[in-house]
Amino acid sequence: MSENSTPSGVRRREFLKVLGAGGVATAAIGCSSDRVEKLIPYLNHPDETVPMVSNYYASTCRECSAGCGVLLETRDGRTFKLEGNPDHPLNRGALCARGQAAVQGLYNPDRYRSPMVRNRSGQLVAATWDQALKLMEQKLGEVQKGGRAGSTLFLNRHESGSFPAFLDEWLAANGMPAHLSVDPLADNAVIAANRQSYGVSWPWLAFSAARLIVSIGADFLDTWGANVPQQLEFADARARLADAPRFVYVGPRRSLTGCNADQWIACRPGSELAIANALLGKGSVNDAATASDVPVATLQALKTELTGARPALVLSGVAGSDAMELALAVNELNRQLGAVGTTVQPDRAITSFDGIATDADVIAAVEAMRAGQVPLLMIRGVNPVFTTPKAAAVVDALKKVPFKVSFSSYPDETSELCDLILPDHHAIESWGDAQPMANVIAVQQPGMAPVYDTRQTADVLITLAKANAGIAAKFAAPNYMRWLIDRYPGGTSAFTLALEKGVGTGAVAASTAPRRATAIPKTAAPIAQTAGDLFLVVYPSCSLGDGSGANKPWLQEFPDPVTKICWQSWVEINQQTAVKLGVDTGDILRVETAQGAVEAPAYVFMGIQKDTVAMAFGLGHTAYGRYAAGVGVNPGDVLPVGFDAKSGSFAWTATRAKVTKTGAYTPIVTTEGSARQHGRGIAQALTVRELADLAAGRVTEHAEAMPGMPNTEYLPGLRSPMAADAQGVVSSNIKHKEQGMYSPDHWSGMAKRRWAMTVDLARCTGCQACVTACYAENNIPTVAAPYQESHTAFLHGVAGGNILKGREMNWIRLERYWEGGEDGGDFEARFVPMLCQHCGNAPCEPVCPVYATYHSPDGLNVQVYNRCVGTRYCSNNCPYKVRYFNWFGYGEPARPQYAWPERLSWQLNPDVTVRGKGVMEKCSFCVQRIREAEHRAKAEGRELRPDEFTTSCAQACPSRAITFGDAADNDWTVAKLALDKRGYHVFQEQLNTFPAVVYLKKVNHPAPAAPAGV
Amino acid sequence: MATVTRPDEEVLRLGPNIPEANIQLPGVEKYEQVTREIQRTLYPTKLWFAGLSVAIICMLIGLGAWMWQVYMGLGVAGYSPPVMWGVYIVTFVFWVGIGHAGTLISAILYLFRAGFRTTIYRAAEAMTVFAIMTAGLFPILHLGRPWKFFWLIPYPNWRLIWPQFKSPLVWDVFAILTYLTVSSTFLYIGLLPDFAALRDAEPRPLRKHIYGVLSLGWRNSELEWRHFARAYLFLAAFSTPLVLSVHSTVSFDFAMADTPGWHATLFAPYFVAGAIFSGIGMVFTIIIPIRRWFHLKHYVTLNHLDAAAKLCLFTSLVVGTAYLTEFFIGWIGGNSMEQSYWWNRVFGQWWWAAWVMLTCNCVLPLTLFVQRLRRNTTWLFTLSIFINLGMWFERFVIFDPSLSHEFEPWQWTRYAPTYVDWAILLGSFGWFTMWFMLFIKNFPVVAISEVKEIVPPPLRTPHPVEGIEVTGMRLAFEPETPGERD
Amino acid sequence: MTKRRKRAVVPGLAALAVVAVVLSAYTGATQQPDTVIKDRGSWGYSAASSPQGRSPVQPIAFPHPTHVQTLGMNCLYCHFSANKSPDPGMPAVGTCMGCHLVIGPNRPAMNGRPARKSEGIATLQKYWAQKKPVPWVRIHHVPDYVNFAHMPHINAGVTCQTCHGQVQQMNRVYQYASLNMGWCINCHVGNVNPKWKARYDCSVCHY
Repeated sequence: MSENSTPSGVRRREFLKVLGAGGVATAAIGCSSDRVEKLIPYLNHPDETVPMVSNYYASTCRECSAGCGVLLETRDGRTFKLEGNPDHPLNRGALCARGQAAVQGLYNPDRYRSPMVRNRSGQLVAATWDQALKLMEQKLGEVQKGGRAGSTLFLNRHESGSFPAFLDEWLAANGMPAHLSVDPLADNAVIAANRQSYGVSWPWLAFSAARLIVSIGADFLDTWGANVPQQLEFADARARLADAPRFVYVGPRRSLTGCNADQWIACRPGSELAIANALLGKGSVNDAATASDVPVATLQALKTELTGARPALVLSGVAGSDAMELALAVNELNRQLGAVGTTVQPDRAITSFDGIATDADVIAAVEAMRAGQVPLLMIRGVNPVFTTPKAAAVVDALKKVPFKVSFSSYPDETSELCDLILPDHHAIESWGDAQPMANVIAVQQPGMAPVYDTRQTADVLITLAKANAGIAAKFAAPNYMRWLIDRYPGGTSAFTLALEKGVGTGAVAASTAPRRATAIPKTAAPIAQTAGDLFLVVYPSCSLGDGSGANKPWLQEFPDPVTKICWQSWVEINQQTAVKLGVDTGDILRVETAQGAVEAPAYVFMGIQKDTVAMAFGLGHTAYGRYAAGVGVNPGDVLPVGFDAKSGSFAWTATRAKVTKTGAYTPIVTTEGSARQHGRGIAQALTVRELADLAAGRVTEHAEAMPGMPNTEYLPGLRSPMAADAQGVVSSNIKHKEQGMYSPDHWSGMAKRRWAMTVDLARCTGCQACVTACYAENNIPTVAAPYQESHTAFLHGVAGGNILKGREMNWIRLERYWEGGEDGGDFEARFVPMLCQHCGNAPCEPVCPVYATYHSPDGLNVQVYNRCVGTRYCSNNCPYKVRYFNWFGYGEPARPQYAWPERLSWQLNPDVTVRGKGVMEKCSFCVQRIREAEHRAKAEGRELRPDEFTTSCAQACPSRAITFGDAADNDWTVAKLALDKRGYHVFQEQLNTFPAVVYLKKVNHPAPAAPAGV
Repeated sequence: MATVTRPDEEVLRLGPNIPEANIQLPGVEKYEQVTREIQRTLYPTKLWFAGLSVAIICMLIGLGAWMWQVYMGLGVAGYSPPVMWGVYIVTFVFWVGIGHAGTLISAILYLFRAGFRTTIYRAAEAMTVFAIMTAGLFPILHLGRPWKFFWLIPYPNWRLIWPQFKSPLVWDVFAILTYLTVSSTFLYIGLLPDFAALRDAEPRPLRKHIYGVLSLGWRNSELEWRHFARAYLFLAAFSTPLVLSVHSTVSFDFAMADTPGWHATLFAPYFVAGAIFSGIGMVFTIIIPIRRWFHLKHYVTLNHLDAAAKLCLFTSLVVGTAYLTEFFIGWIGGNSMEQSYWWNRVFGQWWWAAWVMLTCNCVLPLTLFVQRLRRNTTWLFTLSIFINLGMWFERFVIFDPSLSHEFEPWQWTRYAPTYVDWAILLGSFGWFTMWFMLFIKNFPVVAISEVKEIVPPPLRTPHPVEGIEVTGMRLAFEPETPGERD
Repeated sequence: MTKRRKRAVVPGLAALAVVAVVLSAYTGATQQPDTVIKDRGSWGYSAASSPQGRSPVQPIAFPHPTHVQTLGMNCLYCHFSANKSPDPGMPAVGTCMGCHLVIGPNRPAMNGRPARKSEGIATLQKYWAQKKPVPWVRIHHVPDYVNFAHMPHINAGVTCQTCHGQVQQMNRVYQYASLNMGWCINCHVGNVNPKWKARYDCSVCHY
C-alpha cells in the first residue's frame, strides 16, 4: 500500500515506528548487562573452608534474652542461614522466626556503616574509629575529672553470660556504677515471684508431665519466657494425643498460646488475681465470676477439674498492677497441685533471665536523667525512647544529659538522639558466651568478618581501658575473645572444644563489681479508676517482640499468627462491642487515654473479651530504618507509667481507654481470605473419643476404599497406582510400561524415591517459624515494604499494598481457621501449614504450555524458573493455591521493588536461583538440599541414610510437627508417620490429586462435661 | 412489467418474505452503478481521518500501558492472586468470539445459500481478520515474560524440549494461527474480482497500480470465474468447521481446568454460541454506520439487517439457555464448592457484572421478536452496543469470580482491574478500529462482484418480459438475442 | 518482467525474515549473560547463546602445558575442590607462590635450554607483593539458574577433559564445549558414555 500518497499511509508508517520502539524496549529490558565476569581467588586459602561448601559455626542467638543455640551456615565468607543447634539444651535444634531473621539484622541496609559523631550543626556525621574513640576518651576523662563518674549510666541489652560481668568490671574500673540490664519483654513479676518461691528466676516448665495446663495470660508460645523450649515441651505434651494434657487458657485476649488451648475463658483484664485466688480457694468463685464476667459454672468446673488433675501446670503472665501477687498465688497453686518438681522443675532452671533490671529501675534512671544528675549516658542495644511509654518522656530526659553515647548498630529512635555512635557488631559477628542453664555455657562466635566498619562493644571498652593508664592493667587481654578464653573454665582447650558443639559445661565468671540497688516504683493507679469505657490490653507482638524486629522485612511481612495482619497496626475488638459501636473491620478507631491517643483500623475478633480492646506492641517506629519507620502506630503512646509495686514490673494492661470511631477507613492488610473452612476438610481434627474409635478401627470417614488410602498396598496417596505423575495410567499390571513412575518396578528404573512430608496438626502450634525459615532458605522476596509500594500508584500508598492484592510469596503459609464461635461463645482455632502438596497427579503439570512445571522421577512437582514464560495457568489450576508469581522485579536490582537492597542480598542462598519478574515459583521441597545430600552420598559412595537431611521448615519447626523424607523407603520416619491412622490428604476425595503431603489430624480435648465432637 | 423492478412501496413496508425477497436490491440498476457507488466509498473524508486518528491514539495509549507493564512487571495490572487471569484473557476471548460471526456469515451462510449475506459478508469477514489479529495479541501481552512467547511454538531447538502438547494454551496457538490464516486467505480470494473491477474503475494512478498488483492479473475470463468459484467454495467449506473448532479450543482453556465454574462440558457449544452472538452484535455495530455514511442503504437493505437480527435473536436464545443450564447444573450437581462459587458469581463482589451479562445478552435481545425493532437501525445499533458490553462481561463473569472463589477458602480474594488493564483494553479497540478504518477506505466494503450477481445484467436491447424476476432467476430471452443461448 | 521481479522481492524478503527468526530462536542469538552474584538473576535472556571457543586474554598467560605436561602436576593440585564441591576452586595466589617463591621469572640457561625471562611469573610475584589476588577472567560459564556441580561428575568418572578439552595442551585456555543444554543432555542420556547415563529431568540442574 502507498506510503507517501495517502495520509493514511503516513500514519501507518508512524505507527510501525512506534511498534518497533516497543519491540526494542522489550528486548532491552529482556537482556541482562553483558559484563566480563572475573574469577577472584583467595590470596591465601583458609584451611577450613571449601568453596561452595557450607561451614556451620555454633553460636548463640541474641534476638531475645533466652539465648538459644544456633548454627551459622556460612559459605565463601558469608553467613546466610541460621539453624537451631541440636546440642543446645534450650532449643535442641529448633529456632523461632525471630531467630531465623537475625541474618536480616546482620545485613540490614540501614545499619550504621561507621561511627557517627554529632557535629556543630547537630547532625550525626560519619567519623573514623580513631576520631570517635578519641572523643569518647576525652568525655570519659572529663566525667572522671569532674568526679561525676559515680552518676553515669550504662543501659545494656540484657544478655546472659560473661559480658554483664565484664561490663560491670569495666564500669567499676572507671568508677562508674553497675549497668542496667534491660529487657522490655521480660516478665519481671513472674521472675521475682519465682525467685521468691523457688529461688530461681525461670524454672523448667515440663508441659509433657502435666495432666492439665492452665495458663492465666501466660503466652508461653509467643514472647513469655523462653518460648522455643516451652514450645518443644508443649508440642511433646500434645503429641501424647489421647492422654495429652487438656489446656485451658484464661485471659482477656486469645493469643497464639490461647489459640492452642482446648478451652478459652475470657475474663476481664485485672480480674486474673481474683480467679487465681478462687482456684486457690482463697477467694470465692462468685466474687471472681462477678469481677471477671465469667459464668460461675465455668470457673467452678475449672476448679474441680484442676483439683482432680495432679500434676497440673498453672502459669500466669499478666502485666497488671498486681502481677507479682498473682504469680505468687499461681506458684502456691502449683505447689498444692504437686506441680513443683514434676511440671515445674526449679532444678532445671533456665538462667537466661537472671539479672534483668526491673522496668522501675529503667524509669528511675530516666528520672535521674531528667533531674540532670547524669553527666554521661551509654546505651547498648536498647531503645528506651521506643520501648517505654511516651508518658515517661524519655526524649525530654535524654535532652538533659550533656553527652550520650550509643553502641547501637541501627539508627533507632534513641541512637538518633545520641551524640556519639560507636556501632556494635551484630551478634553473628561477635564473640561471647551465654549461660542458658546452670552448669551450661553456650559460646558465641562470629560466622564471618564484619559486614560494615563496626566494632564489638567489648573490644571498644578494652581499647578505651588500655588508653587509660590507670586501669589498663586490669584489661590486659588484647581483645574480648582473649578475655573470654582466659576466664573460661578449662581454658583454651575447653573453649575450643565448646566451640565445636556450641556448648560447654561450667559457669561463667561472676561479676566482682557491686550490683546496683533497685528502685522502689510507684504503683499503677488501679485499673478501675482509669477513665474510658473499654479495657486496653497492649501485648508484645510475637514477631516483632519489643519492636527490635521491625527493621527486618521477614518479620514485618510475617503475618501475626492469630490475626494474620502484617505491615500494619490494628485494634482488636469483640464483635458484640463492634456492633454496639457500629464498627466494622477496617474502620479506623481512636483509642484515647489520659496519656494520649492512637488511631488504627479495627479488627473485629471473637478472640477478645467484650469489654476489651487490644493492640500489639512493636510497630509505630519513627526511625529504625526503611522497613520500620512510619509503619503502624505505637500503643506505648497511650500507656500510663505504672508498675506492679511488688516486682517493679511495668503494668502494660492497667488502663482503660475511650474508643471512638473516626469514620475513616483503611483496608486491613491481611493474608486471610475466608477464616472458615466451609466444610472443606482442610484442617481436620478429632476428639479424644473419635481418636479411640479410629484406633479401634471403627473408622467412620473415608469409608469407601480409594486408591491412596491406607487400605491399599501403598502408602496413602504416595505410592498408590494412581499416584503416577499426570502422565501415568491406572493399571493393575505393575509391569505396564505406562505404570506410574513411583512403582518400584517402573520400567525407567528411576523410581527410587518419593519425597514426601507429614504435618502433625496435633503438634503444630501455628507459630510460623517454618514460614521465616522458608524465606531464609529459598530466597523468597518480601513484597510489601513501603518503598516497594511507591511505584505502584494504584496500590494503597501504605506498606502492605501488595499484600492487599494477595501477592505475598510465602511458599509455606499457616492457614488459621476458626471453628464454632458464631454464637459468640468459645471457639476453636485450627492451624494448617499449606505448601505445595507435590501431588502425584498434579493439576498444574499438564496445563503448562512450555513444560516449566513437571513431575520429577523422585516425586517432586518441579517448577523450572528459567523455562517459565508466565502464563500463570498452573496457578489457576492449583486447588491449593500454593503457587506464587513474581508480579514485579523483586529479584532485579534495577527495579524499584527489588527485595534485597544492599546488603540484604548477601543473605541470599547461593544454592537457590533468585527469580526475576514474570515467573511462577513455589515450594520445591528444598530440592537444593535433596541434591546436596545426594551429591554428598555419591561422593562418599553410599546411599542416602534415612533422615539424613530435612527441609528448612522441618528443621526449624519448634513443634517438630513437620517431617520430611522418602516415603518409598520404610526406614525413613516419614514413611512410618504417613501410615498413621490420623493421616489425610487435603482435597484428595474431591480431586484425586494424590498429594505427597500427609496431614495428621489434630486431637481436641473437650471439657470433661462438654459433649464430644467439635 | 418494467425491465427493472423499482423499490416496491408495499415490499418495503411489510418487509418481503425471507429468504426469497431479501436478496434483491431494488435501488441498484446497473453493473456500472455498483462499481461507481462502491468505488466512490474509497475516497478518504475528514470524518474518516478524525476517526482514524482517534483509533490510533487509543492504540498508542494501550501500547504505552503495555510497555510500562513490560518494564515494571505484571503487577501494575490489577491481578490479585489467585485471580491470575484478568482483563486480558477476558478481552482475548471477547475478540476471538467477535471473529466468529464473520466466518459464519461469509462461509456457512454462503454454503447454505442465504442470500442476505451478500452485501454484509465483506465487512464481516474483514472484521473477523482484524478481530483475530487483535485477539492474538492478548495471550502474548498477558505473559509474565512476553519476550519468550515463541517457546509456545514447537520448533526444533538445542534444548531438545518441546511445548507441552497437553496444554490447552498450546492448542490455542494452533487454533488462532489457523483461523487467522484461513480467514485472511478467504478474505483475499473473495476480494480478487473486486480488485480487478477497481483496477479498471480507479482514476488515481497509484491506487490503480496497487489494485492491479493485488488483482493478480484477473482478466474476467470464464476460466478464472470457474476457478474462482471452486476456490471460494472450497475455502468456505474449509473455514466452516473452524467456526466450531476454534472457539471450542478456546473454551478448553477453561473447561480443562479444575476450577469451579470453569470445569464444565457445556463450555464448547456454549462458547461457540456466545461467539456468534457477540460477532453478529459487532456486525451491526459496524455495518449500520457504514451503510449510513457510505450511502449504501440500498445495498445493505433493511431486509438484510432484519434477517441478521433474526440470527442474532436465535443465538441470544441459545446463550440464554446455556446460562440457565449452567446455573441448573451448579444447583443439581450438589457440589458445595460449585454452589458457593455460583453464589459468589451472582451475589459476590461482581454481582452487578452478572446482571449486566444477563440483561444485555438474554433480556434486551428479546425485543427482536418485534419486527418493527428488527427493522429499526437505531435500535439495532443501540442493541448491538449492549450486546458487545454484555458479551465482554459474560467472559469476565465466567473467569474472574471463579478464580477469586476457588477450592481454598483461605485464598478467597477480590479482584479489581487497574488503569493499565483498562488502557490495554482501550488499546485493543483502537488497534481493531484502526485496521478496519484503513480497510474500508482502501478495499470495497461491499462485495462488488457478488452484488453484481443479483442485479440485472447489462442487456443489448430491452424486452418486455426480460429481466430479473423477484426470485433472482433469469427469464428466457428472445432466441435471436445473441450470446444468450447456452 | 522487471516489475514481476520487483514483486518477487516482497515475499522473498518475508521468507528470509521468517527463516532468520527461526534460526535465531534455534541458536538463540541473544547476548551471553555474565552474572556474578545470584541476586543479579534476570530472566530476560534466553541463555541459549554459547561463546564456544572464547579465549579471553588472562592477566597472566598461564601455561597449562608447562605445569601439567612438563611438570606432571595433577589438575586437583590447583583446582583442589573439584572432587569435593560443586566449585572446582581457583588456586589461591599463595598456592602459586608455594613454588614461585623459589622459581623466579629469570631462568638461567641450563642443560641445553636457553635462559628465559617469564613475564607471567614476574606479574604473579607483583600481585603477591601487592597482596592482590589475580583477577582471572572466567571462561566456562553457565547461567546462574543452572546449578552445575563438579563433584558428582568427577566422582562419576567424567574426566576434566571431557568438558574442558585438552587443557594440558592449551597455552591459552579457551571454551572447549558449547556448555548449552543440549550438550549436557546428550551426555546425560548416555550418548557419550553409557556408564555416564544419568537423570536428565529439569530439576537435576534447575532449581
